[in-house]
Amino acid sequence: MTAPGTTTRPRPPARERRLPGDADMWVMILGDLFFFGCYFVTYMVFRAMSAGRFTASQRHLDIDIGVTNTVVLLTSSLFAALAVLAVREGAWRRARRLLWATGACGVLFALIKAYEWHTEISRGHTIHDGFFGFYFVLTGVHLVHLALGVLVLGVAVRELRSPRGRRPTIVEQSVLFWHMVDLLWVVIFALLYLMR
Amino acid sequence: MSAPDDRLLRKDRRAVFAAWAALTAATVLARFLTPGESRSATALGDGLVAAIAVLGLVKCRLIIRCFMEVRHAPRWLRAATDGWLAVLWAALLVGYLL
Repeated sequence: MTAPGTTTRPRPPARERRLPGDADMWVMILGDLFFFGCYFVTYMVFRAMSAGRFTASQRHLDIDIGVTNTVVLLTSSLFAALAVLAVREGAWRRARRLLWATGACGVLFALIKAYEWHTEISRGHTIHDGFFGFYFVLTGVHLVHLALGVLVLGVAVRELRSPRGRRPTIVEQSVLFWHMVDLLWVVIFALLYLMR
Repeated sequence: MSAPDDRLLRKDRRAVFAAWAALTAATVLARFLTPGESRSATALGDGLVAAIAVLGLVKCRLIIRCFMEVRHAPRWLRAATDGWLAVLWAALLVGYLL
Protein backbone atom coordinates (compact mmCIF):
# COMPACT_ATOMS: atom_id res chain seq x y z
CA MET A 1 0.00 0.00 0.00
CA THR A 2 1.27 3.50 -0.80
CA ALA A 3 1.52 5.91 2.13
CA PRO A 4 -0.70 9.00 1.86
CA GLY A 5 1.08 11.94 0.25
CA THR A 6 3.70 9.84 -1.50
CA THR A 7 3.84 9.11 -5.19
CA THR A 8 5.32 6.05 -6.82
CA ARG A 9 7.38 6.59 -9.96
CA PRO A 10 6.94 3.88 -12.58
CA ARG A 11 10.03 1.70 -12.70
CA PRO A 12 11.62 1.60 -16.19
CA PRO A 13 11.18 -1.76 -17.87
CA ALA A 14 14.03 -4.25 -17.38
CA ARG A 15 16.48 -4.41 -20.26
CA GLU A 16 15.99 -7.31 -22.59
CA ARG A 17 18.64 -10.04 -22.33
CA ARG A 18 20.49 -10.39 -25.61
CA LEU A 19 23.63 -12.04 -26.91
CA PRO A 20 26.23 -9.43 -27.94
CA GLY A 21 27.47 -10.30 -31.44
CA ASP A 22 26.36 -13.76 -32.54
CA ALA A 23 26.72 -17.33 -31.32
CA ASP A 24 29.49 -18.23 -33.82
CA MET A 25 31.68 -15.39 -32.58
CA TRP A 26 31.17 -16.51 -28.99
CA VAL A 27 32.12 -20.10 -29.84
CA MET A 28 35.37 -18.73 -31.25
CA ILE A 29 35.99 -16.40 -28.30
CA LEU A 30 35.25 -19.04 -25.65
CA GLY A 31 37.44 -21.54 -27.54
CA ASP A 32 40.30 -19.03 -27.68
CA LEU A 33 39.90 -18.22 -23.99
CA PHE A 34 40.00 -21.94 -23.17
CA PHE A 35 43.22 -22.59 -25.11
CA PHE A 36 44.94 -19.45 -23.84
CA GLY A 37 43.85 -20.41 -20.32
CA CYS A 38 45.51 -23.83 -20.71
CA TYR A 39 48.70 -22.13 -21.86
CA PHE A 40 48.62 -19.66 -18.95
CA VAL A 41 48.32 -22.53 -16.46
CA THR A 42 51.13 -24.45 -18.23
CA TYR A 43 53.34 -21.37 -17.83
CA MET A 44 52.58 -21.25 -14.12
CA VAL A 45 53.38 -24.96 -13.70
CA PHE A 46 56.78 -24.49 -15.40
CA ARG A 47 57.34 -21.38 -13.29
CA ALA A 48 56.61 -23.33 -10.10
CA MET A 49 59.27 -25.91 -11.10
CA SER A 50 62.03 -23.24 -11.23
CA ALA A 51 60.61 -20.17 -9.53
CA GLY A 52 63.99 -18.60 -8.73
CA ARG A 53 65.19 -18.63 -12.35
CA PHE A 54 61.86 -17.38 -13.69
CA THR A 55 61.77 -14.54 -11.13
CA ALA A 56 65.34 -13.50 -12.03
CA SER A 57 64.43 -13.44 -15.75
CA GLN A 58 61.16 -11.57 -15.10
CA ARG A 59 63.15 -8.78 -13.42
CA HIS A 60 64.71 -7.98 -16.82
CA LEU A 61 61.30 -6.88 -18.12
CA ASP A 62 60.46 -3.17 -17.77
CA ILE A 63 57.14 -3.00 -15.90
CA ASP A 64 56.51 0.55 -17.12
CA ILE A 65 56.51 -0.66 -20.74
CA GLY A 66 53.93 -3.27 -19.72
CA VAL A 67 51.82 -0.63 -17.92
CA THR A 68 52.00 1.71 -20.96
CA ASN A 69 50.93 -1.07 -23.30
CA THR A 70 48.08 -2.03 -20.98
CA VAL A 71 46.76 1.55 -20.82
CA VAL A 72 47.08 1.86 -24.63
CA LEU A 73 45.05 -1.32 -25.14
CA LEU A 74 42.44 -0.37 -22.50
CA THR A 75 42.02 3.00 -24.23
CA SER A 76 41.59 1.22 -27.56
CA SER A 77 38.82 -0.86 -25.96
CA LEU A 78 37.16 2.34 -24.70
CA PHE A 79 37.12 3.70 -28.28
CA ALA A 80 35.80 0.38 -29.60
CA ALA A 81 32.97 0.23 -27.04
CA LEU A 82 32.03 3.86 -27.85
CA ALA A 83 32.02 2.96 -31.57
CA VAL A 84 29.35 0.31 -30.95
CA LEU A 85 27.22 2.86 -29.07
CA ALA A 86 27.72 5.38 -31.91
CA VAL A 87 26.49 2.78 -34.42
CA ARG A 88 23.36 2.20 -32.30
CA GLU A 89 22.72 5.95 -32.42
CA GLY A 90 23.19 5.96 -36.18
CA ALA A 91 26.25 8.23 -35.85
CA TRP A 92 28.15 6.42 -38.60
CA ARG A 93 30.89 9.01 -39.11
CA ARG A 94 31.70 9.13 -35.37
CA ALA A 95 31.71 5.33 -35.25
CA ARG A 96 34.19 5.22 -38.12
CA ARG A 97 36.50 7.73 -36.43
CA LEU A 98 36.36 5.74 -33.18
CA LEU A 99 37.24 2.52 -35.00
CA TRP A 100 40.21 4.29 -36.64
CA ALA A 101 41.34 5.44 -33.18
CA THR A 102 40.99 1.86 -31.91
CA GLY A 103 43.17 0.55 -34.74
CA ALA A 104 45.74 3.33 -34.17
CA CYS A 105 46.05 2.27 -30.53
CA GLY A 106 46.55 -1.31 -31.74
CA VAL A 107 49.40 -0.22 -34.03
CA LEU A 108 50.95 1.80 -31.18
CA PHE A 109 50.77 -1.30 -28.96
CA ALA A 110 52.56 -3.37 -31.62
CA LEU A 111 55.29 -0.72 -32.02
CA ILE A 112 55.94 -0.61 -28.27
CA LYS A 113 56.01 -4.42 -28.20
CA ALA A 114 58.48 -4.48 -31.11
CA TYR A 115 60.74 -2.04 -29.21
CA GLU A 116 60.56 -4.26 -26.12
CA TRP A 117 61.38 -7.41 -28.15
CA HIS A 118 64.32 -5.64 -29.76
CA THR A 119 65.64 -4.55 -26.35
CA GLU A 120 65.35 -8.04 -24.88
CA ILE A 121 66.91 -9.78 -27.87
CA SER A 122 69.82 -7.32 -27.94
CA ARG A 123 70.43 -8.16 -24.26
CA GLY A 124 70.77 -11.82 -25.24
CA HIS A 125 67.37 -12.98 -24.00
CA THR A 126 66.12 -15.46 -26.57
CA ILE A 127 63.47 -18.14 -26.86
CA HIS A 128 65.97 -20.73 -25.50
CA ASP A 129 65.75 -19.22 -22.00
CA GLY A 130 62.97 -20.87 -19.92
CA PHE A 131 61.05 -17.72 -19.02
CA PHE A 132 61.79 -15.84 -22.24
CA GLY A 133 60.63 -18.86 -24.26
CA PHE A 134 57.19 -18.39 -22.72
CA TYR A 135 57.48 -14.60 -22.99
CA PHE A 136 58.13 -14.63 -26.76
CA VAL A 137 55.52 -17.30 -27.52
CA LEU A 138 52.77 -15.74 -25.37
CA THR A 139 53.34 -12.18 -26.56
CA GLY A 140 53.92 -13.40 -30.14
CA VAL A 141 50.64 -15.34 -30.32
CA HIS A 142 48.92 -12.35 -28.74
CA LEU A 143 50.43 -10.05 -31.38
CA VAL A 144 49.06 -12.32 -34.12
CA HIS A 145 45.60 -11.96 -32.54
CA LEU A 146 46.10 -8.19 -32.36
CA ALA A 147 47.03 -8.06 -36.07
CA LEU A 148 43.93 -10.11 -36.88
CA GLY A 149 41.90 -7.69 -34.73
CA VAL A 150 43.20 -4.67 -36.68
CA LEU A 151 42.25 -6.45 -39.91
CA VAL A 152 38.74 -7.18 -38.62
CA LEU A 153 38.36 -3.53 -37.51
CA GLY A 154 39.34 -2.55 -41.07
CA VAL A 155 36.50 -4.70 -42.40
CA ALA A 156 34.09 -2.91 -40.02
CA VAL A 157 35.33 0.54 -41.15
CA ARG A 158 34.82 -0.53 -44.77
CA GLU A 159 31.27 -1.61 -43.94
CA LEU A 160 30.50 1.77 -42.37
CA ARG A 161 31.79 3.65 -45.40
CA SER A 162 29.11 2.29 -47.70
CA PRO A 163 25.59 3.64 -46.88
CA ARG A 164 23.97 0.57 -48.44
CA GLY A 165 26.10 -2.08 -46.76
CA ARG A 166 26.07 -0.87 -43.16
CA ARG A 167 25.54 -3.87 -40.93
CA PRO A 168 25.75 -2.94 -37.24
CA THR A 169 26.34 -6.57 -36.27
CA ILE A 170 29.64 -6.59 -38.19
CA VAL A 171 30.85 -3.68 -36.03
CA GLU A 172 29.64 -5.43 -32.88
CA GLN A 173 31.43 -8.67 -33.81
CA SER A 174 34.72 -7.02 -34.74
CA VAL A 175 34.68 -5.00 -31.51
CA LEU A 176 33.96 -8.16 -29.49
CA PHE A 177 37.06 -9.77 -31.00
CA TRP A 178 39.06 -6.65 -30.13
CA HIS A 179 37.94 -6.75 -26.49
CA MET A 180 39.07 -10.40 -26.35
CA VAL A 181 42.56 -9.29 -27.46
CA ASP A 182 42.50 -6.71 -24.64
CA LEU A 183 41.26 -9.30 -22.13
CA LEU A 184 44.05 -11.74 -22.99
CA TRP A 185 46.66 -9.00 -22.64
CA VAL A 186 45.44 -8.13 -19.12
CA VAL A 187 46.14 -11.74 -18.05
CA ILE A 188 49.51 -11.85 -19.89
CA PHE A 189 50.56 -8.57 -18.26
CA ALA A 190 49.79 -9.89 -14.77
CA LEU A 191 51.51 -13.22 -15.43
CA LEU A 192 54.75 -12.01 -17.03
CA TYR A 193 55.29 -8.59 -15.48
CA LEU A 194 53.59 -8.53 -12.10
CA MET A 195 53.53 -12.04 -10.58
CA ARG A 196 57.25 -12.42 -9.99
CA MET B 1 20.79 -5.18 -32.66
CA SER B 2 18.02 -3.72 -30.47
CA ALA B 3 16.38 -0.36 -31.16
CA PRO B 4 18.32 2.57 -29.69
CA ASP B 5 16.99 4.21 -26.55
CA ASP B 6 18.52 7.53 -25.44
CA ARG B 7 18.33 6.74 -21.75
CA LEU B 8 19.96 3.34 -22.15
CA LEU B 9 22.62 4.70 -24.51
CA ARG B 10 23.57 7.41 -21.99
CA LYS B 11 23.71 4.81 -19.23
CA ASP B 12 25.88 2.51 -21.34
CA ARG B 13 28.24 5.37 -22.22
CA ARG B 14 28.67 6.24 -18.53
CA ALA B 15 29.31 2.58 -17.73
CA VAL B 16 31.98 2.33 -20.46
CA PHE B 17 33.83 5.45 -19.20
CA ALA B 18 33.59 4.27 -15.58
CA ALA B 19 34.95 0.85 -16.55
CA TRP B 20 37.89 2.42 -18.42
CA ALA B 21 38.74 4.66 -15.44
CA ALA B 22 38.57 1.73 -13.01
CA LEU B 23 40.68 -0.49 -15.30
CA THR B 24 43.37 2.17 -15.68
CA ALA B 25 43.42 2.87 -11.93
CA ALA B 26 43.69 -0.86 -11.17
CA THR B 27 46.61 -1.17 -13.64
CA VAL B 28 48.50 1.69 -11.99
CA LEU B 29 47.74 0.31 -8.52
CA ALA B 30 49.03 -3.15 -9.50
CA ARG B 31 52.20 -1.53 -10.84
CA PHE B 32 52.88 0.08 -7.46
CA LEU B 33 52.24 -3.20 -5.65
CA THR B 34 55.04 -4.78 -7.67
CA PRO B 35 58.56 -3.84 -6.54
CA GLY B 36 61.10 -2.65 -9.12
CA GLU B 37 64.42 -4.21 -10.04
CA SER B 38 66.16 -2.55 -7.09
CA ARG B 39 64.37 -4.70 -4.52
CA SER B 40 66.58 -7.53 -3.27
CA ALA B 41 63.76 -9.99 -2.63
CA THR B 42 63.59 -12.85 -5.10
CA ALA B 43 59.83 -12.99 -5.08
CA LEU B 44 56.88 -10.93 -3.97
CA GLY B 45 55.10 -11.65 -0.72
CA ASP B 46 52.19 -14.06 -1.02
CA GLY B 47 49.76 -11.35 0.11
CA LEU B 48 50.89 -8.98 -2.63
CA VAL B 49 50.61 -11.66 -5.29
CA ALA B 50 47.12 -12.52 -4.05
CA ALA B 51 46.20 -8.81 -4.31
CA ILE B 52 47.63 -8.64 -7.85
CA ALA B 53 45.65 -11.77 -8.81
CA VAL B 54 42.43 -10.30 -7.38
CA LEU B 55 43.03 -7.05 -9.29
CA GLY B 56 43.64 -9.09 -12.46
CA LEU B 57 40.38 -10.99 -11.96
CA VAL B 58 38.44 -7.77 -11.34
CA LYS B 59 39.93 -6.17 -14.46
CA CYS B 60 39.06 -9.18 -16.62
CA ARG B 61 35.50 -9.21 -15.28
CA LEU B 62 35.10 -5.49 -15.98
CA ILE B 63 36.22 -5.99 -19.59
CA ILE B 64 33.86 -8.94 -20.05
CA ARG B 65 30.88 -7.34 -18.31
CA CYS B 66 31.14 -3.70 -19.45
CA PHE B 67 33.11 -3.68 -22.70
CA MET B 68 31.89 -7.02 -24.10
CA GLU B 69 28.38 -6.30 -22.72
CA VAL B 70 28.04 -9.71 -21.11
CA ARG B 71 26.13 -8.06 -18.23
CA HIS B 72 23.10 -7.96 -20.57
CA ALA B 73 23.76 -11.43 -22.03
CA PRO B 74 21.82 -14.65 -21.37
CA ARG B 75 22.60 -16.58 -18.20
CA TRP B 76 24.66 -19.30 -19.95
CA LEU B 77 27.19 -16.78 -21.25
CA ARG B 78 27.49 -14.98 -17.90
CA ALA B 79 28.03 -18.35 -16.20
CA ALA B 80 30.58 -19.51 -18.81
CA THR B 81 32.70 -16.36 -18.59
CA ASP B 82 32.53 -16.22 -14.78
CA GLY B 83 33.47 -19.92 -14.64
CA TRP B 84 36.48 -19.33 -16.91
CA LEU B 85 37.62 -16.39 -14.79
CA ALA B 86 37.26 -18.23 -11.47
CA VAL B 87 39.04 -21.40 -12.63
CA LEU B 88 41.82 -19.50 -14.41
CA TRP B 89 42.73 -17.09 -11.61
CA ALA B 90 42.42 -19.76 -8.90
CA ALA B 91 44.75 -22.05 -10.90
CA LEU B 92 47.24 -19.24 -11.51
CA LEU B 93 47.31 -18.21 -7.86
CA VAL B 94 47.67 -21.79 -6.63
CA GLY B 95 50.42 -22.39 -9.23
CA TYR B 96 52.30 -19.34 -8.00
CA LEU B 97 51.99 -20.21 -4.32
CA LEU B 98 53.10 -23.85 -4.78
